Amino acid sequence: MDKNIKILIVDDFSTMRRIIKNLLRELGFNNTAEADDGTSALPMLQAGGFQLLVTDWNMPGMTGIDLLKAVRADPKLARLPVLMVTAEQKKEQIIEAAKAGVNGYIVKPFTAQTLKEKIDKIFERIEAAQ
Amino acid sequence: MTTESKVLTDDYLGRARELLRQIESGNEEEAGKLLDELTKLRENSLFQELGRLTREFHEALNAFRFDSRIAAALTETDFPDARERLKYVITMTAQSADRTLTAVEESMPLCDEMEADTLELKGQWERFTRRELTADEFRILVPRLEAYFGRVSEDIPKLRGNLQEVLMAQDFQDLTGQIIRRVINLVDDVEENLVELIRISGQNLLPKEKSEKPESAPSGIEASGPPVPGVDTGTVSGQDEVDDLLSSLGF
Repeated sequence: MDKNIKILIVDDFSTMRRIIKNLLRELGFNNTAEADDGTSALPMLQAGGFQLLVTDWNMPGMTGIDLLKAVRADPKLARLPVLMVTAEQKKEQIIEAAKAGVNGYIVKPFTAQTLKEKIDKIFERIEAAQ
Repeated sequence: MTTESKVLTDDYLGRARELLRQIESGNEEEAGKLLDELTKLRENSLFQELGRLTREFHEALNAFRFDSRIAAALTETDFPDARERLKYVITMTAQSADRTLTAVEESMPLCDEMEADTLELKGQWERFTRRELTADEFRILVPRLEAYFGRVSEDIPKLRGNLQEVLMAQDFQDLTGQIIRRVINLVDDVEENLVELIRISGQNLLPKEKSEKPESAPSGIEASGPPVPGVDTGTVSGQDEVDDLLSSLGF
């Protein structure tokens, strides 16, 4: 797996962005950027260059589920892998995210191991599909 | 002028004219009686006004109760829920603090040990480079160096693990933040309702201005924040259940 891929971390809590950023760094991913909600994330994604989106769900402005839908609706971004890292854990929410085309779903609080597994799985599938 | 106040005014006028006449003709006793009557009349109208206000207030309160969340919030679910949520915040922050402190307490002795060993061996090594070490001393130094490398290469992953534990323990800030936001929203709602109550009871003393809350764009499904044990239902119990659910959906 290419560790130089550019990853966008979207969460309204800066502490959580830092946690994810540090965990990704531990996993060897150093090329990360941050946004605090969907509204600021979408133009960054549209500007191009990102190979993975890690997003929270519950954010003021544009939520993560709306961001996911916007990404899937954008022909240029439609195939971008999206990993949701969220405290939202109602079954209908997980189903909603799956329907919207999420690639992985991690519930908070999570472990470094879970993050690694889900990212590995996403890229294994992408590689297998190629 | 209402019929009620017209009757009152006529009453006052009649008695006032009669009072003037009685005073002019020097009839003190009759004048005193009329004054008493006038005072009584005044008291009656005050009581009537007070009664009217009380009735209006009562009606306003009743009307208010129908469309208000206050009664429900205070007595039924929202406040007890909020209390449980805040208690959960205390639990989570305590857990995070404990995790952090435990990791620090485990790491400190490792650092102390490593520091002491390093300083000791550094001294020996410096003596060795200055050719001050005897052959016997050198023979003792070699296995100690080996043991030291062994310990450090074990301790460093432990330290990294502890640092990661400290890192992960900070996730409480996001989770408790979301929970506290929900409680703040409840407090805002109750405040708004209380202001409305005061406005109604204060006979429009306060200007009727409803602060428009910015509504987040609906996405069909609402974010509900971190589930709080004993308060939220219909949630999965953890990552394993999420994985099971998703794999049942063909993921």
